[in-house]
Amino acid sequence: MQATRRVLGLIVDSMACLLLQDAAVDFPIYGAHAKSFKQALAAAATGGRIGTDTGVAVVQALRDITIELHNGDRLGIIGHNGSGKSTLLRVFAGVYPPTSGTLTIDGSVASLIDPGLGIEPDATGEENIYLRGLVMGLSRGEVAGVFEDICSFSGLGDYLSLPVRTYSTGMLMRLAFSIATSIRSDILLMDEWLSVGDTSFQAAAESRLRTVVDDAGILVLASHCPELISRECNKVLELSHGAVIRFDSTL
Amino acid sequence: MSHTHELAYPAPIHTTHNRFHSAGGATAWTDWLYGTRRFDIWATLAWYDVLLRYRRSLLGPLWLTLSMGALILGMGPLYATLLNAPLTIFFPHLTLGIIFWSFMSGAIQEGCQTYILAATYLKQAPYSRSIFAWRVVARHAIYLIHHLVLFLPVAAWAGIAPRPSNVLVIPALVIVLANLHALALSLGFLSARFRDIPQIVGSIMQLLMFVTPVFWLPDGLPERARIVLLNPLAAFLTLLRAPLLGELPSGRDWLVAALFTALNFTIAATLYVRCRRRVVYWV
Repeated sequence: MQATRRVLGLIVDSMACLLLQDAAVDFPIYGAHAKSFKQALAAAATGGRIGTDTGVAVVQALRDITIELHNGDRLGIIGHNGSGKSTLLRVFAGVYPPTSGTLTIDGSVASLIDPGLGIEPDATGEENIYLRGLVMGLSRGEVAGVFEDICSFSGLGDYLSLPVRTYSTGMLMRLAFSIATSIRSDILLMDEWLSVGDTSFQAAAESRLRTVVDDAGILVLASHCPELISRECNKVLELSHGAVIRFDSTL
Repeated sequence: MSHTHELAYPAPIHTTHNRFHSAGGATAWTDWLYGTRRFDIWATLAWYDVLLRYRRSLLGPLWLTLSMGALILGMGPLYATLLNAPLTIFFPHLTLGIIFWSFMSGAIQEGCQTYILAATYLKQAPYSRSIFAWRVVARHAIYLIHHLVLFLPVAAWAGIAPRPSNVLVIPALVIVLANLHALALSLGFLSARFRDIPQIVGSIMQLLMFVTPVFWLPDGLPERARIVLLNPLAAFLTLLRAPLLGELPSGRDWLVAALFTALNFTIAATLYVRCRRRVVYWV
């Protein structure tokens, strides 16, 4: 299957690619004590360990992960709570550089992991579109290019000139969703399928998300819902305690 | 449990067209340069930091000017009397002293929070790490502009006329801004890892305030106590303040500033190379 992507109305082949080889992600857990400067100094001064305090507890969030994804791949990630699904998504986003192994990301990455992140409650809707756009890496010109589309799609009208703290939860979600889905990327990362708004908005949101998903060369979707995975994905990866226990082309 | 973990170092990520010039993929230099160039991002974030803080107040950021003005007006005559100094000399000295000190001290102390407060950003996308240090410096530069207008009436009152040597404040500002940025990087990385650093820095800044001629005139210092003027913040303060008072900073001040700048940049560059990928694991 050859995935295509529209750039300025033209259909072009996008050569998105994600490679993860023998990757592991270890989180150091610094306790209130182990994290203190005094103890690091003490450890340096004595050149060794003092009791158990200088030992750093490590949570192995992911280990021995080798995945290769190319254009057209739709990967579903399943697994119990704490199995490493979200961490793996963040590794693909480039947020957590693997503590060992290698990661290669070829293509632009869009993360819909938490679209509401970084919304400023005291800024107006319009200001938030602008701020979020910049923070997503767009230039001022690029934000201006998608500004009208975001405003009209959100359907918030005059509310966009009011501070976001006056919005209802649903309105806030509409705004966050409209901003997050305004750019196209080669690689799309999602934590559960996004579903926002009242019934009238849901249909529009669904079709907008559909376009974003279809335009992406690679989709990585973490979910607890088997129906969703079998509907959207052509590959399935099951994680348990940070390790891959199954990697198939069907659920 | 693993004791080797501290040595484990996140592998570089090989990326193409990353919107953020990833901290994982780029070299330390390209990562720093990319963030530095994204003036639009960090200046906007800094401006909104200031704007949103005062959004619902009637006077807005003008409060910055007013509260600083109240402090200077209150302290000026009182300290001039206490220290037995002529008010026309002491008042402009104190005004610029407090303004530039609160600029440097504020940026250094908030520099400790550079990455701790940017945690949500760091966990969302591989942002260039320099963006957040510039954001802190830019925020305090905005505060500085709001405070600095207070010097105009004070200078007029004290009869300080503009002179060509006033422009020396511009290279001084460039040096100080670059140093504050480097400190925000270093202290930001260190504080994310060791949460005692912000407290230590706070205590040190309090001590430094008294050994820096913020409130007092350095002329009154006995010869053997002049060593306190060798602290880098005293040198920076003199470089910033003297040109505006129509004086010339001494060669010693330039030398101390240059030496500290070299040391500061070296430490910041070393920590940037070592910590930029790891910092997301610490916040």
